[in-house]
Amino acid sequence: MLQTLAYGILNGLLYSIIALGISLVFGVMRYLNIAHGSLIILGSYGSLYLFYFKLDPFISLPILMVSLFLAGIILFKLLYSNFVRLAEELRIQKSLLVSFGLMLVIEHGATMVWTSDEKSITPFYSGMSFEVFSGFYVPFIGLAGGILAIIVIIALHLFFSRTYFGKSVIAVSQDPEGASLMGVNVKRAFLISFGLSVCLGAIPSVLIGLQAFSPSVGITWFNKGIVVVMLGGLGNIYGVFPAGLFLGIVEAISVFFFGAPYREITGLVIFVLVLILFPKGLFGRIPE
Amino acid sequence: MKKILLSLLIVLLISLPFIVKSQYFLSLMITLFIYVVLAESWNLLGGYTGQVSLGHGAFFGVGSLVTRLLWINKVPILLSLPLGGLAAALLAAIVGIPCFRMRLAYFPIGTLALSMIALLTVSNIFIAAGALSPKLLKSYEIFSRYYLALFIVIVTIIIIYYLIRSRPGLAIVAIRDNEKAAAAIGIKTLKYKTLALLISTFLAGSAGGIYAFQHVSYYYDAPFDLTWSFTPPLTTFIGGISTIAGPIVGSICFLALSEIFAVTLGEVHVLIFGFCFILIVLFLPGGLLSIKTGSHVKKF
Amino acid sequence: MLKVEHLDAHYEDLQVLWDLSLEVNQGELVALIGSNGSGKSTLLRVITGLLPPTQGRLIYKGTLLNNLAPHEIVNLGISMVPESRRVFPKMTVLANLEMGAFPSKAREDKHKNLNRVYEIFPILGERAQQFAGSLSGGEQQMLAVGRALMSKNDFFLLDEMSLGLAPIIVQNIFEVVVQINKTGISILLVEQNVPMTLRIADRAYVMESGRIVKHDEAKTLLNDPYIKETYLGIEQMT
Repeated sequence: MLQTLAYGILNGLLYSIIALGISLVFGVMRYLNIAHGSLIILGSYGSLYLFYFKLDPFISLPILMVSLFLAGIILFKLLYSNFVRLAEELRIQKSLLVSFGLMLVIEHGATMVWTSDEKSITPFYSGMSFEVFSGFYVPFIGLAGGILAIIVIIALHLFFSRTYFGKSVIAVSQDPEGASLMGVNVKRAFLISFGLSVCLGAIPSVLIGLQAFSPSVGITWFNKGIVVVMLGGLGNIYGVFPAGLFLGIVEAISVFFFGAPYREITGLVIFVLVLILFPKGLFGRIPE
Repeated sequence: MKKILLSLLIVLLISLPFIVKSQYFLSLMITLFIYVVLAESWNLLGGYTGQVSLGHGAFFGVGSLVTRLLWINKVPILLSLPLGGLAAALLAAIVGIPCFRMRLAYFPIGTLALSMIALLTVSNIFIAAGALSPKLLKSYEIFSRYYLALFIVIVTIIIIYYLIRSRPGLAIVAIRDNEKAAAAIGIKTLKYKTLALLISTFLAGSAGGIYAFQHVSYYYDAPFDLTWSFTPPLTTFIGGISTIAGPIVGSICFLALSEIFAVTLGEVHVLIFGFCFILIVLFLPGGLLSIKTGSHVKKF
Repeated sequence: MLKVEHLDAHYEDLQVLWDLSLEVNQGELVALIGSNGSGKSTLLRVITGLLPPTQGRLIYKGTLLNNLAPHEIVNLGISMVPESRRVFPKMTVLANLEMGAFPSKAREDKHKNLNRVYEIFPILGERAQQFAGSLSGGEQQMLAVGRALMSKNDFFLLDEMSLGLAPIIVQNIFEVVVQINKTGISILLVEQNVPMTLRIADRAYVMESGRIVKHDEAKTLLNDPYIKETYLGIEQMT
């Protein structure tokens, strides 16, 4: 049971990071990016390539982060920047549709280039675990991922609370017009936030890359992310962590009692129930 | 003029099996009819009522599943198919109506989640593929399937055509354009959204029924695949949402492209459509048809 | 300092400002009065860059403001205290004030300015760690003015500050406005509260339905019969 919980927590942290990317974009500019999962998978393929060049995925992580950041900025400029001024509800819908198209393009483009075969990155340490005490193992990769996740949380917190740019992003997420009246370049804030969101996806890219991935799996990971976002409260970046852990643990418990196939279903059912029972979101505010 | 062309088209479609004898081509036409019915059904909910569903595959799948199970258990197809449609509508009644409580913007991801739940559940329950009994196998021929599919397409289009022009239809479009305003003037939004949902899912389930009838060997989880959820909005947006011809145009182009590239590049037709979809959403929300009619779609 | 020349503005196809011209000279406290819907706030939105003009020119210290983005205009030296305050509700008072000092030239003197603001509005100092959304209307107004002071800009646009506030608080705020003006900051004050405004302003413009209908020294306007009847509710005995 303790083992199950450990897996649940580590998975939960992974879900949190995915959700963080989605929540950042949503909180700042009210865009729903359903292509987030597919972008992560794209990153996994990138990591795989870097691995062919003998770069361990954890070592090449900074390169991946920079690349994804740039990709995010380019995508924002190309696709997402011309409807920033719309009313909130329309913005959500339009960004959802654009992301839907983007997801299909990435998914099928990736299938054409790399086939739909499942791939995975296998450095020497895949599958290794620490035996903490008898019968209780902590997988090496999972642990590294968990540590990365915690570092990211702390870094982001410092970014938002200590730097002027970070504070301006929070201001923008609360009142873009008001922020512009303070001298904040709101367009640039949106651009960088979007880039940052995709850049954050580099960490799940590596972690998922080390497990197994294929082009069509992006939407499944997106769903994990959006469940966590909803549970933690829309637009509430800090709520993403308890919610992620919650999902990870609940999933792990359901596997323990009901078996593996039900893991995915559990999360999705919780998601639908939350959407239906709490149309105003669990903790966070709803966009009005 | 339009009526003449339309009648000619219908005559052509009816006589097609006598002109073109190719089994493959007729099967392709059936697939086209399935796509059209599914897209039109999606459009009723998505284009005309403004509720973009990314999970219509669940209803397609349920209709298909129920039809197949009934049919291979000796229930005549003319009964199994509508029952399949009803089953889909029933599922919609149970799950879909609460979905309307979601804020409008989350309806797409909520329905997507539902579609995935359906896919995962069915994949886990029905592991083996299904085959036809020797008797059914012997009596398999393409003619009846073609005409059944054609009949359903025509009925679907007629239903939607008259629905849109009726009083409920006006209410539905009003809801799409501004739900709050519609409610403010006394339209019972839930009632009409439900109506659109039930008709839409019934038709989607019927499309699934055709699919079940068409296929000899049958993978139970195939009609629940996410592609069936993604293709209708994809083709409809490009053809033109909120028009009747839009889904038809979109489906024809989609299927044509997929046939052209099937041997060479495989997935490319979806890639192309994906690009076009993004362009359309950004620059031409009314879809291709709006170039001709000049209509200005405000909502999307 | 600020010159508005023959300005037109539209919301989509609807024209809302017609051939509007006004100016504010250095150190002046100029009022813009008019009733609801006369277009006063719209004019301010155009000046700050939130709404592009369809005709006419906006010039600040010789620089053309047309088509500049709001943040660029703030960096040029114009600060706005918006209608209904618009403080950042989920940020603390302190964080709000720090956001006021966002323009880079304002950041070095941040601490000095912060203390100055606390001097003028002691209650902000007391509530520094509270979320701005939980402040009362009057306190939020003070916070909004404080934010503008943090920007080190020397031109303020004040939009309907008295709205929704108790008279004694309005009095307090108006006194602060006069104080600020005396330190050399030029002010364009948009208001519905005509009597108090005309008492503190140097000059005033009167707007109706998107046009300027009168313009004079504030003292003169106070005694103007049309103003008295329309805005001060004083019956003219003839």
